Amino acid sequence: MSDFLKTKQSRRKVLGTIGTGAISATALTSMPGFIRYGQAQSSEPIKLGFQVHRTGIGAAYGRWYNRTTEAAIKLINDGGGINGRPVQIVAEDDGTDPKRGAEVVEKFATEHNCDLAFGTLFSHVVFGSSPRAGELKMPYFVCSEGHHVASGKLNRYTLQPGVTDVKSQVQAMAPFVASNLGKKVTMIFPDFAFGHDHRDFFSEAIEKQGGEVLAKIAIPPRETSFTRYFPQIPRDTEVLYHVMVGPAVLTFVKELGEFFGPSRPEIFGFIDSLEAVDMASPGLEFLDGTYFWEGHPRYAQENQTEFDKFYRNAVGVDENGASVADSRDVSTYAHMFSCWETLHIIKQAMEAADYKTSADRTKVIEAVEAIKDIPEGNEHPQGAKIFNGKTHQVFGHQYISKVESSKLVLAHTTSIEDTFYPDEVDYTTQSF
Amino acid sequence: MSLSILKLCRPRFLVPLIGISALTSAGNEIVLAHASNQTFVPLLPTDLYIFAGVAAVALTVILLAFRQIGDLLTVLPVITVMPVANFGVSLVSSLVSFALLALLVYAGATGSQDPLVNPLPLYIWTVLWIGLVTLHAVFGNLWHWFNPWTGVYSVLQRLTNWEPPLKLPEAINYWPAIFGLFAFAIFMLASLAPEDPSNLAIIVAYYWLFHFIAMMIFGREDWLRYGECFSILMRCFAQIAPFGVSQGYLKLGVPGWKLNEFNVRAVMAGVFVIIVFASSSFDGLNETFWWLEILGINPLEFPGRSAIFWQTTAGLLFFNILIFIIFSLCVYAGLHIVGRSDLFKNAFFRLAICVIPIAVAYHFAHFLPTFLVNIQYALAATSDPWANGSDFLSLGTFYVSTGFFNTLESVRWIFLTQTTAIVLGHLFSILSAHNVALETLKNHRDAVISQLPLATFMIAYTFFGLWLLAAPRGA
Repeated sequence: MSDFLKTKQSRRKVLGTIGTGAISATALTSMPGFIRYGQAQSSEPIKLGFQVHRTGIGAAYGRWYNRTTEAAIKLINDGGGINGRPVQIVAEDDGTDPKRGAEVVEKFATEHNCDLAFGTLFSHVVFGSSPRAGELKMPYFVCSEGHHVASGKLNRYTLQPGVTDVKSQVQAMAPFVASNLGKKVTMIFPDFAFGHDHRDFFSEAIEKQGGEVLAKIAIPPRETSFTRYFPQIPRDTEVLYHVMVGPAVLTFVKELGEFFGPSRPEIFGFIDSLEAVDMASPGLEFLDGTYFWEGHPRYAQENQTEFDKFYRNAVGVDENGASVADSRDVSTYAHMFSCWETLHIIKQAMEAADYKTSADRTKVIEAVEAIKDIPEGNEHPQGAKIFNGKTHQVFGHQYISKVESSKLVLAHTTSIEDTFYPDEVDYTTQSF
Repeated sequence: MSLSILKLCRPRFLVPLIGISALTSAGNEIVLAHASNQTFVPLLPTDLYIFAGVAAVALTVILLAFRQIGDLLTVLPVITVMPVANFGVSLVSSLVSFALLALLVYAGATGSQDPLVNPLPLYIWTVLWIGLVTLHAVFGNLWHWFNPWTGVYSVLQRLTNWEPPLKLPEAINYWPAIFGLFAFAIFMLASLAPEDPSNLAIIVAYYWLFHFIAMMIFGREDWLRYGECFSILMRCFAQIAPFGVSQGYLKLGVPGWKLNEFNVRAVMAGVFVIIVFASSSFDGLNETFWWLEILGINPLEFPGRSAIFWQTTAGLLFFNILIFIIFSLCVYAGLHIVGRSDLFKNAFFRLAICVIPIAVAYHFAHFLPTFLVNIQYALAATSDPWANGSDFLSLGTFYVSTGFFNTLESVRWIFLTQTTAIVLGHLFSILSAHNVALETLKNHRDAVISQLPLATFMIAYTFFGLWLLAAPRGA
């Protein structure tokens, strides 16, 4: 309705056709999408509160999360909804603000009578909203990558079944980096929690692989030029690990290219730096031959799965990861699958719990906790996953792509086991 | 957020608890790579653009010192297009406007609560606040036809022979509008969710009702002239429109030709204009790394509006006071140098009016990127106002795009358009101020000298405006 705004076959037109046409009830109920609605005509729609970053610093991600959500809901409704009931998305803007996030969760519970809430990306909004969700006994499915769920800092009502967390992502990179790029690593990262997480998780993981971090170069967040930090990179560095973000990220790459010239070490980064940025942007040619973590490969690969093809088509994304309506409009492809997959987990759990009313909310949480293997498919185009019911966190494959001719070409897929780490919490021991 | 030692040394009240607890616990695993055109702007030769813009404004100031050139530049040519009669359409157009507003309020209260789907926030913030206000700077006072009060007021007056019981006391002056404008700026810049459809519906409905009642009490003309801030703001912006109606004729001239005919003569009107001017500049400054650093906030990890409500409000107030003082000092110093400080009161108002082009330029430049995106959402919302699958405009599958923020060339065009607006705004302001000085002091030499402090301020402000466009932003 917002990004995926109009379908040529609007609901009104469909109903109009049905009303005036000579379609029998039998024929109607045999149409896709009407089978189970027909069996539950008196059912109210299931309302899913979508906490979305429509404004504020998360808006660029929010636009694509919204578009992915609209596409997933269309698919679910076309397939009969959940338990034969249509699904209605109730979107509320959290302004990418934790206080507003808590208000939005409350609105879902008290004003909109939503059955559950989902969709939050930014961690500080998750932290602001999760306690309120717990108080209101509202299942709260986050799509944030944060380690906050699995770390035990939240509550039993908060789950992250659609996207892996940053701890598992970072540590899963170490075996590839050590085996293929080098063991002497220098890390360049912004000097705050985001960068610190990478520093800590990766340092530990690379040491387990027999590698070492030669230098940890922390860049103050306010910096917009980086040349003066590059001389700190030790000469014997084999791999440069970077996770710079913010408005100066293209400047960072440009200056890095000017500093190294043609002789550079191997370079490994996280696509977070360049999410939604065209890889053919000026200055990025320096990155040719370097590697990136991707949550989900932006470019359609030679061995593209039918599931990825199906998902791209549904969301309206082309083979380069850009909008089918505008090839310059690059999506947040590495992350936005989380909404799609989370919604399919919600459907799976609600059906397993035979969800009928809000009194069944805890059954939904228990049903999610009972999920273990999640097979790859149209519902899970990013790949197969394993859900840990105790930590409420999903684990899955990670992708390492190499930049070749301004495109990201898949070079390595980690195993799911590469992403495992010891449990830090058991939410199932907490009472509802 | 891992607060550095330096940041911990800052006053704790600047970093509310929610920000600390949220951000120290685990931080943002997702950090924005780009939100608008900000990623590409640093790749542009912005220093060169800033230098060129400031040089153009400075050169204009220098040229104005030469009498012949000054005379040539400040004679703003005006051509008469055609005679105009009183069309008498304002009653109908205002009623249509009221009906549309009522419909939007209804949609806000009952429709989707997604602010990029519901038509109310999109029409209020994008179509009206960004679009219509800017159009006033091109086509003149459209608000005369499209304000949502006068139609209903006229109908009621004719039906009931209503006479306003009170006359607006002179002491009230522009104060209601000044308070209204400041409250609006706080709502827009600092409040938690100014785009929330149902909240906005309540606010718009009460705003309309409040001013309608005030019009009933004090009379339509007086209240729209002194009390309702948008009517005054629209009139201000209309003063720089090339089109305008004067003495029964539609005229076309160089922007600014109407400024000297602006028929409101009061110091408080000048204060109002300064608030418009300063607030439009603060909106933008409050998003920069520079400002967030002052607040002790990591610009890459903006904690949300709720964490800085009071700081933003205080910053807005402080910036307004600062600009007011600097502007007043510039005007006073200029007059003092030529020994005519007795003219301060009159000159203050008339010179304040001259900064309207700058305010318009800031408004346009600051909101251009937002407008380019949100007008697409507004189009979609018009086609499907209740988000029920209707498609009144036959848009078909419609995806909003921000692709123009994603190439260097399109970002360069957007940036240069913004830069041009800022530079032109300052040029028109300087020319208008020079005209005012000539008219006030009746002497070219005195006029040039008296303008030196204000011209210096405007050159500095050009630099500030262009720096603002290029500055990295984190909020």
